[in-house]
Amino acid sequence: MRSVINISIMNERNGQKIVEIIKNWSRKHSIFVMAYGTGCGAIEIPATMTSRYDAERLGIRGAATPRQADVLLITGYLSTKTLKRVIRVYEQMQDPKYVIGFGSCTINGGMYWDSYNTIKMLDKYMPVDVYINGCMPRPESVIEGFTELQRIIARGEGNGAAKYKENLEWYRANQKKVLKNWPLEEYNW
Amino acid sequence: MDNAQIKEEKLMITLQSAFPDAEVAFMRKDEVSLTIDKEKVASVLLKAKNQLGYNYLSHLTCVDWMEQNEFELIYIIWSPTDKISLYVRTRIDREHPEMENTDMIWRQLNTYQREIREMFGVEFPGFVGDKDFILEDWEEMPPMRRDFDTLTYVDDTYFEREGREDARDVREAITKKSGEEIPDFAKKYSRQ
Repeated sequence: MRSVINISIMNERNGQKIVEIIKNWSRKHSIFVMAYGTGCGAIEIPATMTSRYDAERLGIRGAATPRQADVLLITGYLSTKTLKRVIRVYEQMQDPKYVIGFGSCTINGGMYWDSYNTIKMLDKYMPVDVYINGCMPRPESVIEGFTELQRIIARGEGNGAAKYKENLEWYRANQKKVLKNWPLEEYNW
Repeated sequence: MDNAQIKEEKLMITLQSAFPDAEVAFMRKDEVSLTIDKEKVASVLLKAKNQLGYNYLSHLTCVDWMEQNEFELIYIIWSPTDKISLYVRTRIDREHPEMENTDMIWRQLNTYQREIREMFGVEFPGFVGDKDFILEDWEEMPPMRRDFDTLTYVDDTYFEREGREDARDVREAITKKSGEEIPDFAKKYSRQ
């Protein structure tokens, strides 16, 4: 009898419980984006948000503080100086949190591949859910990236925060390799 | 002398008579250059600002002449009445780069001097400004010096994503197709 009840509250897809399906459904329709532009790519965000492409119809809108935000957009090149702030912001964000790497620079350094102060692979420093390539990605690509993130959330695979907690030592070691004087407290969740 | 260059000529004569050991040269329309020892730069700037009306500081920049073991500092100032840019140039030693602090003439020079101190390692004795300007915790050689090896530093510091496995060298693909040979100077850029 008990097993029958268990089966009935399990969904057939991905073994998600109904509660999780409902949670993820509502999460994917209210993506709050941290209002923090790290590089030149931030110029595409106003175009995405305003009336022509109107990202808010998909539930994508800005959030003023890290604690209110779900998504951290790394828009374009990320210098080591900014990386320090980005890590700080990422660690202040509430679970669930997602990271979108935006533009070629976050993927492989892009045109800054031999720059002395730009990191080349974002996913070595924080877990990245979606990469949007292009230099710059147009608003269509940005929205496509966000819908991909929505699909990931709906599948229940947007677990970057858990991944970060699990592999914190590895991420920290990579971060400290670039940031010489570590400014933050050592967290333990 | 062209009619349009009279104002430049006038300025050059004034500067040459005030600073006989300076090397005054006409660069192009609206641009005059003055090369002088580093001790006299401040007096040139003061005279240009207070007497000749060159009261607008466009820029202070630094050029690395590595082969001659020198840095060149260039102060670019502009006169709203003459509409001429005056380039005040001076060369300083590259081993112990030191330049007089001039931020009392234009306060904006403070920012430029901070930048040059950080990017080229030029010291300005007696000058008050934060040590860090753009970089943070920088421990290497100042990065804008030409002998700073950026690529080695990048290889040592950062991760590099490997390219696609099926990526092809564009130059080789084209030469193969058309049956041409890759010129010698371009061979060092190929993937193999």
